[in-house]
This record gives sequence, C-alpha cells and structure tokens, in this order.
Amino acid sequence: MEHQAKQPYKALKNKILATMIVVPGIPFLLVMAIGYYQFTSALQSDAHARMTRIATDHRRVIQMFLDERKSDLAFVADAVSFDQLTRKEKLTEVFNDLRKTSPAFVDLGVFDANGTHVAYQGPYQLLGKSYGDAPWFQMVMKKGYYVSDVFLGYRKVPHFIVAVKASQNGGEWVLRATIDTLFFTDMVEKVRVGKTGEAYIINDQGIFQTERRSGGDLMQKDQENLHELTPKGQVESFVRKGASGEAYIYATAWLNDHKWILVVRQEVGDAMSSLRTASYLGLVIILVGGAGILAMAFYLTGSIIRRMESADQEKSELGQQLIMASRLAEIGEMSAGFAHEINNPLQIIRAEQTLIETILEEMRERQELPENEDMEQVLDSMRQIKLQVDRCGGITQGILKFARQKETQSEAVDLARFVPEVLEMVAKKAEVNGIVLQKEISGPLPPVSADPGQLQQVILNLVNNAFDAASERYGASGGAVKVKVASENGKAVIAVSDNGQGVSKENLEKIFSPFFTTKPVGKGTGLGLSICFGIIDKMGGDIAVESQEGAGATFIIRLPIES
Amino acid sequence: MAKMVMMLVDDEERFLSTTSKLLNKKGYEPLTATSGQEALDKLAKEYVDVVILDVKMPGMDGVTALKEIKSRYPLVEVIMLTGHGTIDNAVEGMKTGAYDYLTKPCDLEELITKAEEAYERKRMMEEKIRMAQVRKAMASPREVVKETDGGK
Repeated sequence: MEHQAKQPYKALKNKILATMIVVPGIPFLLVMAIGYYQFTSALQSDAHARMTRIATDHRRVIQMFLDERKSDLAFVADAVSFDQLTRKEKLTEVFNDLRKTSPAFVDLGVFDANGTHVAYQGPYQLLGKSYGDAPWFQMVMKKGYYVSDVFLGYRKVPHFIVAVKASQNGGEWVLRATIDTLFFTDMVEKVRVGKTGEAYIINDQGIFQTERRSGGDLMQKDQENLHELTPKGQVESFVRKGASGEAYIYATAWLNDHKWILVVRQEVGDAMSSLRTASYLGLVIILVGGAGILAMAFYLTGSIIRRMESADQEKSELGQQLIMASRLAEIGEMSAGFAHEINNPLQIIRAEQTLIETILEEMRERQELPENEDMEQVLDSMRQIKLQVDRCGGITQGILKFARQKETQSEAVDLARFVPEVLEMVAKKAEVNGIVLQKEISGPLPPVSADPGQLQQVILNLVNNAFDAASERYGASGGAVKVKVASENGKAVIAVSDNGQGVSKENLEKIFSPFFTTKPVGKGTGLGLSICFGIIDKMGGDIAVESQEGAGATFIIRLPIES
Repeated sequence: MAKMVMMLVDDEERFLSTTSKLLNKKGYEPLTATSGQEALDKLAKEYVDVVILDVKMPGMDGVTALKEIKSRYPLVEVIMLTGHGTIDNAVEGMKTGAYDYLTKPCDLEELITKAEEAYERKRMMEEKIRMAQVRKAMASPREVVKETDGGK
C-alpha cells in the first residue's frame, strides 16, 4: 500500500523538480552564455584594435627613423662637396656629426659615379672596392636614394644601408651609410605587449630584416608567408596560426616603400588572458549558482511533496473514517430492518410455543398425558424451542443494539476483575482447541467507563478471532493467545495477541470494514470487528491492530479512564 | 371486579389468534383488529379497557392510530408493541399518551402484567372521575341529573 501510494508522488516530484531546475536554469545559463559571448567579442575586437594601433604607431616611428637617416645623408650631400668629403679629415668630421644625430650610423662611404669606393670612414677596409654592378648602387643611381634589405656584403656581417645620390657640377656621386642592425633591431623590438607580444620586420620576400624574439634569425625566411597576405595600404589585423602551431593575432603594415612589412603579433591566449580569468570566474558562478538552484529546487520540492503527502494522508484518513462511519450506518439500517422483520415471526413462534405448553399443562392436569419417555422428549423439545426463540431474540436485539447504540449504559468497570471473568467464559474453548490462553494484568488499573455487556462482546470477539487465527496455523496444539491489560498515558489498554499467520498489509486497511472477512464462506459475516469498532468508538476509545505477516497479530483497545 | 377487556392490534393474524387463545385460557376475552382503522371502528362499537398496539403496520401506523384513539377515547390505555428497532416510535408513542411499550418477541406473562398495570391505572382514573362527579352531585344534584340526561 505504502509503496503504491509513493509512486504518483515520485512522478509528481520529478515533474516539480524538473520545472524548478529548468525554469531558473534556462535564463541563468542564457545570461551566462550571452555574457560570455559579448565579453569574448568585446575582448577580441579590443585586442585587434590594440594590435592595429601599435602597428600603426610603430610603423610611423620606424619609417620616421629611416626617413631621418635618409635626410641626414641628403643634408650632408647638399652641404658638403664631393671633394671635401673625399678628404679623410672632413669625412671623419662629418661622420662624427652624423653619429651625434643618430648612433645607428656604423660607417660612411663616398662613391663616384662608377661605383668605386673613394672615401670611407668606419671599422672595415672597404676602400677601392667597386660597387658599379651592385644592385643597391644601380637603384640609387636610378631613384636618387635607397634603403637596402639586410645583407652580408663584403664584410660578411648582416647590415643594411641607406644611400643617396648627389649631383655637383654635372657629375654624380653617392653617399652611403651603414645602419647598425643591432640598434635597428632593438628599436623595432621595443614593442612590448603582454607576455608574448613582439614586433619584427620582414621584406617583401618574407626574409627577416630584424630578429624575432620568439625565434627567427636575421635573413632567414619566415615560413608564415605574411608578405603574400598583407594588402598594400592599410594596417590589417587578423588571427592566424603561426609556424609553431600557436594562434596569433597579427597586425601588419608595409613600410619603406613597400619593401618591408612590420609585423606585430601576440599569442591569442595571451591577448585574451583576461578572458581566461573571466571564464574561471564565470565557471565558478555557474557552479555556485547551479548548485544553489539545485539545492533550492530539491529543498522546495521536498517540502511541497511532504506537505502534499501529509495533506493526502489526512484526507485519506478522514475518508477512511467517513467510509467506516457510513458503512456502519448502512449496516445499522439494514440489520435493524432485518431484525425487526425477524422479530414478528419470532413473536408468533413464541406465542405458538406458549399455547402448546399451556395446552400440554392443561392435559397433564386432566391426566390425559401418558407418563412415558416420549412425553418427556416432547416437553424437553418444548423447552428447547422456548430457549432457542429467546436466543434468536437475543441475537436480533444485539443487532438492533449495534444499529441503535443509543442504549449504551456506561458504568465504572474494573478491568482487573472484568477481563479474567470474560476469559473464564472462553477458557474451555481454548483448552479444547489446544490453545494456551495467557493473561497478564499489570496494575494499578483505575476503572474505565464502559458498557460491560458491550465490552464483553468486544473482548469475546477479539479472543475468538485470535483462537481462530492460532488454530488455523497450528491446528490442535501449539496455538497461543495472550491478553494483556495495562494502563498507559492515562488510558486503559487491553491487548489481545495471537501467534497466528498475521494480517497482510492490504488487509490491515480493511480489517474494521463491515463485511470484510478472510474466513471461508459461511464461517464469518465480516461484521464482528466492525461492530467492535463501533462499540469502542461509542465508548470514546479506539481500537487498532498491529501485525507482521507471519508473526501474529495484536488488537489493541484503548479506553478512557473514568474521571 | 370486572374482567379487563383488551384489544390486540397487529397485522399478523396468526399472532392475534394464538394470543387470543392463550388469553382466553387465562380468562380474558380479548378483541382483535388487524389494522389501525379496524381498531378505531371496533372501539366505536365495543367497550375496551386496554389496547395492545403494534407500532409497525401497513396502512395506518401504530403512532397515528394511538393519537386517534387517545383523542377519541382519552381514558383507554394503550400499550405499544414494538420491534427493538422502532423503540424511537414507542418513545414518541408514550409522549403522546401510551402507557408503556413491549418489545417483540414478548412473553405472554409480561404482556398480561403490563396490561393489568394499565388497566389498574385506568380504573384509578375512572375512580377519580367518579369521585369528582359524586362531589359535584353532592354540591348540586340537579346538575348531575341534567348532565346524565344530556349524556344519554
């Protein structure tokens, strides 16, 4: 019963639980997801914007540096004549002046129109070498100025040069300066963004013009093919996997007349490091919030279900009582009508019997009756008829008593004396059926207020039921029935226990219902316990049953003590 | 002392006949009626001291019959005969003027005892009335003569 009743609660519980989790859960997760998405994209566009800005600024700085070096040389070429510069002292003086404007100058050389190195100030021995066929020289002669890529040249040291063409008196010559690649690299690398941010320059073939901090030597080929990806003109930022497999945010910008590309890049993970922090925080919020929602859902559902259960239980108990009461009333009405109808024929039988008896008496007085055994038999039968009619009358009145229990006459009953008296009446029956009938009376027992006749009926009914249960299980010997009388919490308790088969859980619910019986057809009407219930109820007491299937049953009557 | 005249009213004819026989043997000569209406009809013609009236009858029920009898013949005593289930009706009957009630199945001895008690009361009532009339007659004999003439 318990088990069956739990099932609908379980389904309901799951439903409520699901609702309580899903309803706050969905907006919660939605808010978190939207927040995460917004935050991520804001962070991303912020990172891109930052990279673009850095690249733009840095390009300007580097371009300005190159332009300045070019202007320095152009100024010298304008201000000092070819002849002057070919003089060693003047060249040294000019070079020292140039070093003052920028320490990046490593050397300074003067070339005639044929490309012959006519004057040199610097650490290397380059005088007299001819550069007429060198590409840089031809470019200078053609364009008027030139900034070279990094190359090794005669000196076998990476460097790059800035050269300008000057013209004087119809003749042309070239002034060339070498730029310290270390100095230049330092300047380019000076960008610091996060942990992995770096800046470097490659040329339009993808060759490193400055070192890359994260690996990439001068004059090596960069495997990332950025020179093909970078559009001329605007600074672009994009995300791309580097050669090492890491994803980077790149910002690239052309400089030096589209010969070089400035690359600024940062690992995505590093650029978005605040995202990771935020993600952890979000995860913690989701876990804590989710746990909160779950805990709340379980707690509320639990308390709702508990309330419903207790309400339902109260309802069902009330319903049981109502059903019991209405059944009792119904059986009362029915049996009252029945008893009344039986009383009429009983009345006639009684009258007939009285008549026969009277006539026989008269005949005896007139000496018309034979004095033999047959006559004795007839007279005995007459007495039996009277006895049996009286018995029927007793039964119908008993039924009517149950039906109309207004007639209870309560008086003080001393259970310590009353119960043994009642048990005395069934002692013989117990003996015949091989049942050990025990009684246990523990005092002190104040008197209870009860109708002795009815209380006797109830006790006899319970004891007889106990006998039946014990006999059914053990047959002619082994049965045991115990009747205990005690007082407990201001009530007198009479408990009748047997060692029979016990009552199944389903039957426990119906045991006091009218017409409910487990006895074979014709052996019981199913009214006994129902009547007991009615009687004890009228007395202001209650009757209950406790049973373990297979371990006997105990009926417990509690009666109020007379005040 | 005059013998009490009983009338048994019950819808069970066999009960009426057997009980009559028994009462005859005890020296009574009861009248019988099988319904309330028949009882009222017989009361109009015959002299009756005590009516034994079944509560539950088809047609006019016992309580209605009792009210009729008491209103028409206030001095006639009525004993209600009832199954236990209709004791409520018997109580209502006694409030309306019945002397007592008997529950079925009842003993003949019990019936006679209660009937005799009822008869005794009826005689006492009649005695009181007679005494009152005697007193009245002594105060004003003419009135009595007038009343007696008027009553006939």
